Amino acid sequence: MSEPVYAVEDLVIDLYTPSVSVRAVDRVSFAINAGETLAVVGESGSGKTVMTLGPLGLMPEGVTIDLRGSARAAGKDLVKMSPKKLSSLRGGQFGVIFQDPMSALNPMLKIGPQLAEQARRFAGLSPAAARAAAVSLLARTGIPDPEDRYDRYPHELSGGMLQRAMIALALAARPRVLIADEPTTALDATVQAQILALLRQIQNEDGIAVALITHDIGAVSVLADRVIVLYAGRIAEEGSAIDVLTSPVHPYTRGLLASVPDFRSDTASGTREIPGLPPDQTRVLPGCRFADRCPQAEASCRTKRPVLTCVGGNEVPHRAACPIVIRDEGLADND
Amino acid sequence: MRRMFLRRAGLALLLMLAATALTFALVTAAPGNVAALIAERAAGPGADGEMIARIADELGLNDPLPVRYVRWLGDTFTGDFGVSLRTGKPISEEFAERIPVTATLLAGGGMLALFYSLGLGLWGATSNGRFADRILHGIALIGASTPNFFVAALLVIVFAVGLGWIPSFGLYGWTSWILPCVTIALFPGSVLARVVRVNLQEAMARPFATTGFAKGMNRGEVLVREALPNIAIPYITTFGAQFTLMIIGAIVVERLFGLNGIGAFFIEAIRFRDFVGMQAVLTLFVVFFVSVNLFVDLVAMLVDPRLRRARRA
Repeated sequence: MSEPVYAVEDLVIDLYTPSVSVRAVDRVSFAINAGETLAVVGESGSGKTVMTLGPLGLMPEGVTIDLRGSARAAGKDLVKMSPKKLSSLRGGQFGVIFQDPMSALNPMLKIGPQLAEQARRFAGLSPAAARAAAVSLLARTGIPDPEDRYDRYPHELSGGMLQRAMIALALAARPRVLIADEPTTALDATVQAQILALLRQIQNEDGIAVALITHDIGAVSVLADRVIVLYAGRIAEEGSAIDVLTSPVHPYTRGLLASVPDFRSDTASGTREIPGLPPDQTRVLPGCRFADRCPQAEASCRTKRPVLTCVGGNEVPHRAACPIVIRDEGLADND
Repeated sequence: MRRMFLRRAGLALLLMLAATALTFALVTAAPGNVAALIAERAAGPGADGEMIARIADELGLNDPLPVRYVRWLGDTFTGDFGVSLRTGKPISEEFAERIPVTATLLAGGGMLALFYSLGLGLWGATSNGRFADRILHGIALIGASTPNFFVAALLVIVFAVGLGWIPSFGLYGWTSWILPCVTIALFPGSVLARVVRVNLQEAMARPFATTGFAKGMNRGEVLVREALPNIAIPYITTFGAQFTLMIIGAIVVERLFGLNGIGAFFIEAIRFRDFVGMQAVLTLFVVFFVSVNLFVDLVAMLVDPRLRRARRA
């Protein structure tokens, strides 16, 4: 297998705001290969965005981050890069789609020229070619009458169209990795399906690597090849989408899947919530972070950090960080 | 958008009428009798009641206030502001000499405030939270809290008296404009620098700034190309308000630096109870205030694509 286009190893990210410091990502490793979609799943605050965008230097203003470990892309380690080199690598190698296109697109700037500029700066096109590329990209992302939309401002487009424009903008520099940070959360249900279909179509056509950050299990089942389940900054479980979604091992993954509403059930009893709240990440304690909410927790869970252990999978190893379930259900798979 | 602008323009016209009516009433109500003043000037202390009554009658001062206001309004519309009680010259002649002086002062001060505030605000934002940012914050704070007569005195002491570089009084070439312009620009420039800094900071925390970083821009590029266009509207609005207030600075500064502008004329008019002159200057101020604000509204509408293209969407 060729080298992954984005590989993170033993990443630790501490976030500092003037009032608190939080260990947002705690020794996480993952890799994305060209042509595959990796879904990063977890609840709000689990560190999925920080883990993927943090190494790129894309953190909100006013938040200071401390990165340890390595994050490699295009043969370079992003953790050790100067901010200037990092910003140009970010523009050329990575395209990012954000949750709410209404606020993520600058209200004072026309849509088309931004795409053209990306094509000029990072794909090295001439101004005329860049404009043509921008128009065809708008067409490709399913925006009707792209010549007209080229000169439009964000307020002149609907939310769904804006997310298509956002995707076009992310692709304009011809990146190798597309990071979609909850790309459908802010959209209507019907539009969500269209955007997911568009992402799948783009991936099929371009063979680009996609990192899908989401808490929408439906989106995962539609798009993802592999899944990482993140809980409080640590990987709880990872594997192929089929393995993780159909035979989850970690109690958190099981709880997460059980909490997805089942349309066949006509009562709320079809869903089960995970009791309790995510842990306070301002303090780093030994042991499993899910222990306080876990129905199967034992005394040892609170003292020893669980390690990711292989429990099956074919080409993609299926691994979970729960020694209790693995022991009780005899899942250990030493290959 | 055109309808919106026409409505604003109509409103501005009404505002001008209301404001001039009010100043007219206030000036009339001020202590002092115009007819007596004129009589005194003409005949010295020997002016008797009969003469005063005759002058008041000739000038129509005995008519009811609304009648006099409408007559004054008609004259003003035809460019006839009356004759100054102090100089005896038609006020339109005084204005023709003095408006260029004040206009130059305001234009120079406005330009300085513009460059100063944008420069200081952007520089502060690029050095976010670091030492330079704090120093710049301090400079802006001092600038915004120092009265202009003090600034003027300080500048004169340093640059005119101490260093002898530029004149401190009267008009002797373009260098004479430097100190007055700097003096009236310092306060609005400092206030605007804070507006730039605070709004830039706010814009940098918005999601589209993150998009800018994701596009591969560095901090400077995101500041100038993504955040700066988004502060245009608050900046233009504040600039308009500060620019109109600069006329107050001009009154003080013209006096201090011996410039024969409208502000200096206004002060003299008050000292000599030149009611005609006062009313004329106040009218000029009203027109200036209202038209600057109208212009600012128009520019703000043109700058904001959401307003500019409201009809096309």
